[in-house]
Amino acid sequence: MITQEENVKEISASKPYIVVKDLVTQFFTSKGIVKALDKVSFEIYPGEIYGLVGESGCGKSVTSTSIMDLIPDPPGRIMGGEIYIDSFNILSDLRSLAKIRIKSETEVKIKRSKRANKRHNEILSQIRGNKISMIFQEPFLALNPTMRIGDQIMESILLHNILSISDGIIKRHNLNSNDLDKFMKNLNGENDHLKRKKIINNFVSEFGIQEFEESLNSLIENSTDDSYVKTEIINMVQENKKNIDMKLISEIREYYYYKNQLFQLTLEEIQAERTGETAIRNQKHEQIKALRRYINNKYFVLRMKLRLAEKHYMAPFRKEARRRAIELLSLVNIAGPEIVVDSYPHELSGGMQQRAMIAMALASNPKMLIADEPTTALDVTTQAQILEIIKDLNELIGMGVLFITHDLAVIAEMCDRVGVMYAGNLVEETSTTEIFNDPKHPYTVGLMNSVPRADRKREKEIRLDTIPGTVPNLITPPSGCRFHPRCKFAMDICSLKKPKLVEISPQHKVACFLYSDESEVD
Amino acid sequence: MELRYYIIRRFLILIPTLFGLVLLTFILLRAIPTSDLIASFISQKATAQERVIEKQQAIAYLGLNQPLPVQFLYYLNDIIHGNLGVMYTSFYTGPVMGGIERFLPYTLELSIATVILSILIAIPLGTYIGARPNSPSDAIGRIFSLGVYAMPIFWLALLAQIIFGKNIGIFGSYGLPISGEGYPTTTKVPWIVNNVSEPTHMLFVDALLHGNLTIAYSAFIHLILPVGVLTLSILAGLLRFIRAGMVDTANQEFVKTARAKGVPEKLVLRRHVRKNALLPSVTVIGLLMAGLLGGVVVIEYVFQLRGMGRLTLATITGLNIQFYGVAGTVLFFGIILMITNLIVDVVYAFLDPRIRY
Ligand code: SF4
Repeated sequence: MITQEENVKEISASKPYIVVKDLVTQFFTSKGIVKALDKVSFEIYPGEIYGLVGESGCGKSVTSTSIMDLIPDPPGRIMGGEIYIDSFNILSDLRSLAKIRIKSETEVKIKRSKRANKRHNEILSQIRGNKISMIFQEPFLALNPTMRIGDQIMESILLHNILSISDGIIKRHNLNSNDLDKFMKNLNGENDHLKRKKIINNFVSEFGIQEFEESLNSLIENSTDDSYVKTEIINMVQENKKNIDMKLISEIREYYYYKNQLFQLTLEEIQAERTGETAIRNQKHEQIKALRRYINNKYFVLRMKLRLAEKHYMAPFRKEARRRAIELLSLVNIAGPEIVVDSYPHELSGGMQQRAMIAMALASNPKMLIADEPTTALDVTTQAQILEIIKDLNELIGMGVLFITHDLAVIAEMCDRVGVMYAGNLVEETSTTEIFNDPKHPYTVGLMNSVPRADRKREKEIRLDTIPGTVPNLITPPSGCRFHPRCKFAMDICSLKKPKLVEISPQHKVACFLYSDESEVD
Repeated sequence: MELRYYIIRRFLILIPTLFGLVLLTFILLRAIPTSDLIASFISQKATAQERVIEKQQAIAYLGLNQPLPVQFLYYLNDIIHGNLGVMYTSFYTGPVMGGIERFLPYTLELSIATVILSILIAIPLGTYIGARPNSPSDAIGRIFSLGVYAMPIFWLALLAQIIFGKNIGIFGSYGLPISGEGYPTTTKVPWIVNNVSEPTHMLFVDALLHGNLTIAYSAFIHLILPVGVLTLSILAGLLRFIRAGMVDTANQEFVKTARAKGVPEKLVLRRHVRKNALLPSVTVIGLLMAGLLGGVVVIEYVFQLRGMGRLTLATITGLNIQFYGVAGTVLFFGIILMITNLIVDVVYAFLDPRIRY
């Protein structure tokens, strides 16, 4: 228990990786406006597993989809709020995206701005899959049926890692005898077997020649002649250098470098727009235009080449990406990754598909993974394996996870902190231990009672204490506290005002008038 | 299973299908009363007694006195030897097989040009429209499709003639030919006259292969209007179908995955949506081919072109129904359809890795 508490403190000391503030998402349907999320706020810290739990239709999936800004539009739209991913507010240009006139529930006019949306999508495509990844409930539907698993993972890798891959290739190309001398000196200065292995490992990954690690190991084991080893290494690398057009590599690298610059400038432009610094904004705008023109002119031929025969011109990159894809597949415990990499999704089992999805999500080492009911569609044993992989990744590489589920047992097993959602509101948020031992919100209490629990079983006290009533229709949600029609403790104020999510004890937030008078000012 | 095996299997399935087709045309032949056929063997001037003898001879000659299964075997034997009987019409008189050999290439040229053209137009246009459902371009596409779909093909053809036709259309004498008039006849084509190679038997292609641009041009302008009208009629349905496929695919989960990976919007459409959206349309192209062959009959008639469609029409519009002509042309239309379906299936399997049983 102590360690857990320490953990929580340590987490809260750092800066949150995801901040969701007053998020409002609505769906405009022919029957009316579905108020799917009504001012949801929470924070997720790097390295923690945050669980969102609730009945189906409570808005937990809408929340995760909103964070990725993947709400299908139409019919849905994020209407307000802020979402910070790694300190960047992806909704900073929200207001410029569309003009929305709501005449009545069923009559909504949305005028989307093409240019603003284009810019918005450009920025998001740099964030999605790069800073934050997502896996879905049904891996079979979530994988492209006509693309090989490897190609789908490689696509992810190639989208965000061209610069680092080309650096690797260039470094390998420039590998000279000085580097080799240094390597041999390091190696000879060390007698410990494990440390020697480590040096070799560092060497091969520094120069991007991981595929030779094995042969290098045995070569060094069996030979004491330094110069022989050196020529052998040179030969290996030479083999690899063949058919690689270094001019093309550096050209591609340059092109992507400029594209990165463009991205940075766009971020700055949006920032200036938001703070209202027109002069800076205009200046950035001009810079962007100039840079874009420059790229378009200078790399016109390259872009044509890539457009027409991407596979051919990107071959060295693809080779590198393929190696990484295989690595990723073995990281998520797929047996025979060399075979799976060339398989199509339908040739894999559900568990394997979900693993492949995870591998894909890991392609560019994101700090945060959103797992939207990742095990619901899988059978029980596979479920456990997938959960374990996610947990391992969290512990091994410190990846934060937003875990969405309706299964309290999974929450108990996986999460550090939990948020409980009801009808588009976050009603309670606290650590996992506390939510099970001391739930506060009447809805959470009902939820906890609705699960048979092992410790109560012994006391022959299983009660499926389901909450009376049904989930409200979110087109006309109940006034005030959205839970009041079903709440045993409802008071007069509950139907009039909406309770605010307030901290009633350290690390424990509840939105209920039983614990605090504070209401949201509308 | 591997694609190779699938294709081999698909080829093997052709054999029973072909057999079924032959059986069907045989039944067709026997379903029509044979009295007409026998009558055509009896000379008008003969006496009553001679007629009886002639009738007997005809029945024996035609094999009609044999039991049906034996007749079928004779029929099968004839087909294997390329003997489809003889037809007598004002359009063409001679062995049916010869007629098909002569007229089929023209129809093939027409159909292949139509299929290629409509695919070339439908895919980019359909994906463009499908990527923007409910936009103005979608509305225009819908009006076009429904409009053309509602028009009978002969009417479309007449409309095209009235607008673009030579001497009658808006281009006056610069308009496009609306009948076979001016089409290079066999006697004027050097490689047919001199009996040198005719690689494809299709005039336009052969002309290009022989480097004879005058003939190629002439053949080409004769193709424009018929191919244009046929393409329009196919395009209407195909566009709607590709659009539906695009809209459908765009809502699939894996498209969301692609976006979640950070694939830029343009690439999402190009790499993930388009291919999957076109899969069902491949099957539809196969079905449209059947419609196309029907359209060809009408188009050849309206444009006075000498192809399989006219040949087919001739077998049933003359004074006497040409039994062998009917059976032969039906058999060949069937074979064309079978081959198209084979191509469609193979293309589909090539595109969709899930289709390998
Ligand atoms: S605010 Fe009122 S209605 Fe809502 S949960 Fe608390 S007591 Fe129940």
